[in-house]
Amino acid sequence: MDFLTALINGLSSGGTYAIIALGYTMVYGIAKMLNFAHGDIIMIGGCVMYSVLSAKGNPLLAILAAVVFCVVLGVTIEKLAYKPLRGAASLAVLITAISMSYLLQSVAQIYLKSGTPALSALRLEGSVNIGSFRIDYSTILTLAVTIVVMVALSLFVKYSKTGRAMVAVSEDRDAALLMGINTNFIITITFAIGSALAAIAGYLMLCKAPILTNTLGSMPGIKAFAAAVIGGIGSIPGAMLGGILLGVVESISYSIPVLAPFTEAVEFSILIIILLVRPSGILGKMRREKV
Amino acid sequence: MKRTIIKVFAVCMCLALLAVSFAGCKKLEKDTYVIGVSGPLTGGNSGYGVAVKNSAQMAVDEINEAGGLDGVKFELVALDDQHDASKVETNYASMMDKGMHVALGCVTTNPCLEFAALSKTDNVFFLTPSASANDVVKEDNAYQMCFADGNQGSVAAKYVNGLELDTIGIFYKSDDAYSKGIYDQFKASLDDSIDTVEASFVGDATDFSTQIEALKDCSFIFMPIYYTPASNFMLQAKGKVADTATYYGCDGFDGIESADGFDISAIPQKVSMLSHFNSKATDGKAGEFITKYTEKYGKDTLNQFGASAYDCVYAIYNAMKAAADAGEDISPNMTASELCEILKAQFNGGFTFSGATGTNIKWQSSGYVDKEAIAFVIKEQG
Repeated sequence: MDFLTALINGLSSGGTYAIIALGYTMVYGIAKMLNFAHGDIIMIGGCVMYSVLSAKGNPLLAILAAVVFCVVLGVTIEKLAYKPLRGAASLAVLITAISMSYLLQSVAQIYLKSGTPALSALRLEGSVNIGSFRIDYSTILTLAVTIVVMVALSLFVKYSKTGRAMVAVSEDRDAALLMGINTNFIITITFAIGSALAAIAGYLMLCKAPILTNTLGSMPGIKAFAAAVIGGIGSIPGAMLGGILLGVVESISYSIPVLAPFTEAVEFSILIIILLVRPSGILGKMRREKV
Repeated sequence: MKRTIIKVFAVCMCLALLAVSFAGCKKLEKDTYVIGVSGPLTGGNSGYGVAVKNSAQMAVDEINEAGGLDGVKFELVALDDQHDASKVETNYASMMDKGMHVALGCVTTNPCLEFAALSKTDNVFFLTPSASANDVVKEDNAYQMCFADGNQGSVAAKYVNGLELDTIGIFYKSDDAYSKGIYDQFKASLDDSIDTVEASFVGDATDFSTQIEALKDCSFIFMPIYYTPASNFMLQAKGKVADTATYYGCDGFDGIESADGFDISAIPQKVSMLSHFNSKATDGKAGEFITKYTEKYGKDTLNQFGASAYDCVYAIYNAMKAAADAGEDISPNMTASELCEILKAQFNGGFTFSGATGTNIKWQSSGYVDKEAIAFVIKEQG
């Protein structure tokens, strides 16, 4: 029974990781860059929810405002910081992304000052009880949102014109450009979707644990990045799989007292093992370098 | 004509330069005692740092108003480290630049370990109000006003041993020197007859579902962690841990009732903590401190870290005064190292102090404080 509870909790936190990982993996697949500021978008979303709630707005409005703000922020960051570096060395882009992450954290710190506010209004209390077995509403919500996002995104990529253009850009940007696809627009759309997902992930985190700090997104961001690599970076189902896997491992590791202190070590060793055994990730495409 | 102007200008500049350099020299003649402290003035743990800064400043102002030490005033240099050990080295260097004589070290534990190592090389005496790891006072120039983690653990265990419980829960942060330090000592001093259910977390984890699942049947949960994760735990444990349970923390719980957006009255369980300062005191030195602090800075940042810092400044002042009365030659021109030797002789030589955080406080030569703990209920059940 305990194992089952740990498993369900793991699926739930894994769902959150998966949604964050989608942002990483899509941006990597299409813009070929690692957006390390992605985790901090989550936290900025939290700050927006906090300010809306402080102004007596209702939770639904807060979430909506966070999604809109994050989309605008994500697109702006892309336009201001990343676009001028398109074609630059990947190291330069990486450093820019890391700086952007610290910039966002510092701005949030200025905004939050010394506070670590509790957004109690976002909290989803209560649970479904089946005998002594219990599933929180927040867990059910996270799982449901994860599934909906997964299905919607897959359908979008497979059937919509923009989605297919995204696949084309991720496979070969130059060829896509020659075929008349506006790659800049596609990259903008990718950042917009990724940032919206980050805001949603932020809500899913806060509805369980409502304390907002300026580093709220950094560890989940890094774990989601690991999840994206485990699943195969660039692959949408891979990000889902990696996220869920990481969440379940984390939860089970926490539930075993001997292993609990080493939970993060356990999680990241999975990354190392995957990189050793299957460098392109579980669902990643093996690519042979031509010399 | 133009040449002459240039020449005159050059001579003027030279004179100005000379004057500036002399001005610099004059400043080296010190006329105050400088007390340094580094703490989180911004960021997640700033409640602690701000309280320490305010209270230490208040003590310094009071001492100065009363004429200082034989007419020589004190000056506080408080710098921000955001609870980040990597910022301490820079802070320490700028304190030394400002002529630090003596220090309160750092407010939080991890940065203070760094401070301890740095201050040892210059032999700067420090008395920390709140950095509680045992290793903070490993060197002979370091003293604590708060209980060392090891002491907190054993004092807490002594309290729990007296409660006649069969099973208790423990929730701690396994990668944190503060939390793990208390946990180790607590386990070592806990009666063998008491079973423990343990859950832990690492890093910035915020989702505690799995840990709560493990601890949900405990009627008493010991939580040697800081208040941000603790309030997070309590919110998530609502309706899962029995309403009649008791949460029991150490000094990290301090300030939990004033955390932004966290309504402690919405938590059904009893919340209590081990302390050396009763923040609801109305009389005695503690009550006096509270009245003065609230008047000056309001209630938001009133906590035991501040009371402890207030005592630290006075303890250092009293020790310096006692040494001066005993015939030691103390002046602002002496080096930090010379003052350190004088203060060490005082602290190791039976110096006692009474303040807001205890009466007849003594220090062991190891740097640990020797005083009575009090149990403090933050919130009753219901």
